[in-house]
Amino acid sequence: MLGEFEYLLLSAAARLGEGAYGAAIRREIEGATKRRCSIGALYTTLDRLEAKGLVRTWMGDSTPQRGGRPKRMVRVTGEGVREAKAFYRAVNRASRGVSWAAD
Amino acid sequence: MRLGWWLLSVLARALEPAERDVVLGDLAESGEGVGAATRNLLGLIVRRQVGLWLFWRPWLALFGVSCLAGLSLSRIVFRLNVDLYKYAAHYATTLTARQEVAFLLCLASALTVWSWTCGFVLGSLSGRAVWLTWSVFYFVVLDSALARYVLAGNIILRDPRTHETPLDSLQGALRLLMATTLPLSIAALLFLLPALLGAFVGVRRRVLTVHHAYLIAAVNSALTILTTWSTGWYDPAHLPARWPGVPWSTRLLPFLLASWPAAYLLACSLPTGSRPKDQTPLQPTPEP
Repeated sequence: MLGEFEYLLLSAAARLGEGAYGAAIRREIEGATKRRCSIGALYTTLDRLEAKGLVRTWMGDSTPQRGGRPKRMVRVTGEGVREAKAFYRAVNRASRGVSWAAD
Repeated sequence: MRLGWWLLSVLARALEPAERDVVLGDLAESGEGVGAATRNLLGLIVRRQVGLWLFWRPWLALFGVSCLAGLSLSRIVFRLNVDLYKYAAHYATTLTARQEVAFLLCLASALTVWSWTCGFVLGSLSGRAVWLTWSVFYFVVLDSALARYVLAGNIILRDPRTHETPLDSLQGALRLLMATTLPLSIAALLFLLPALLGAFVGVRRRVLTVHHAYLIAAVNSALTILTTWSTGWYDPAHLPARWPGVPWSTRLLPFLLASWPAAYLLACSLPTGSRPKDQTPLQPTPEP
């Protein structure tokens, strides 16, 4: 079972698709949760997800905006999609009949 | 502002090179201020440092090299200091000048080689945690022998005018710690420089080639045997009451403790050995 932050990261990476990399995922998470996302939490969670085989990462291109430094590109694997689906369904099932889910 | 980002890039050196570039790029792209960027970077560094200690290698470096080999090296540094500086006084022994010089050369060479080997293994095992394991190693080697002798009462440090010992006050204890911790003697330098160089090389290379490992192991073994043998005639000639004739196996043990990292180096270099790997998961990989 995924953790909450792992699910947020997988969702952000899946939404960004080909453009998923560290800084973009961080922006997505901050936009979705309206909370700060630290680089430490992002990269250690990314390592954990990669170790579990839920994402694949590689070094991408650099841009002048980044001072010529490379990006760490992210792609959600098939296993990652299955895990994220299972987490989403579990949250849905657990939320049935609760007052805040009716809004 | 520029100074702040320069400091940030210096701080980022605590990360693995591949991750360092990615993180600095992310921080530049995010447009955060230096303060927020520093907090973010420090958070990642702390997480990475803690993560290193989830593996057994830094623990082996800390207890096996910094503490165990360090305690043994500390006694050797201490005795080499005493043996070198005793020439200020006259010692009536049956030893010839050649024997004296041979023993001191033997012990000094052994200290240099053992320090380099310990430093290399510290760097190889600890990786980015080397700053901690090496600092502990440094303090153990330069301070533990003196501390043990002082606490056991073998050495009494007393000011001849006031009759106070440095341990009577915090200020005195700190001054003593400073004096013993700074590498102010030949023996301390014979430890410090090779140990620093060894750690530097160890962090970068992690494993030696088989030929180099055999060479280091052979030199370590030869010096261990020579030092054990020479203490057999050197010690009883100087302090017959204290060392009337200690068996070779008892003399060998502390030297074995100081030189065991050479055996580890050799084991790692053999084709079937367990090679230390980079413990940070991020590695540049080709695009899938």
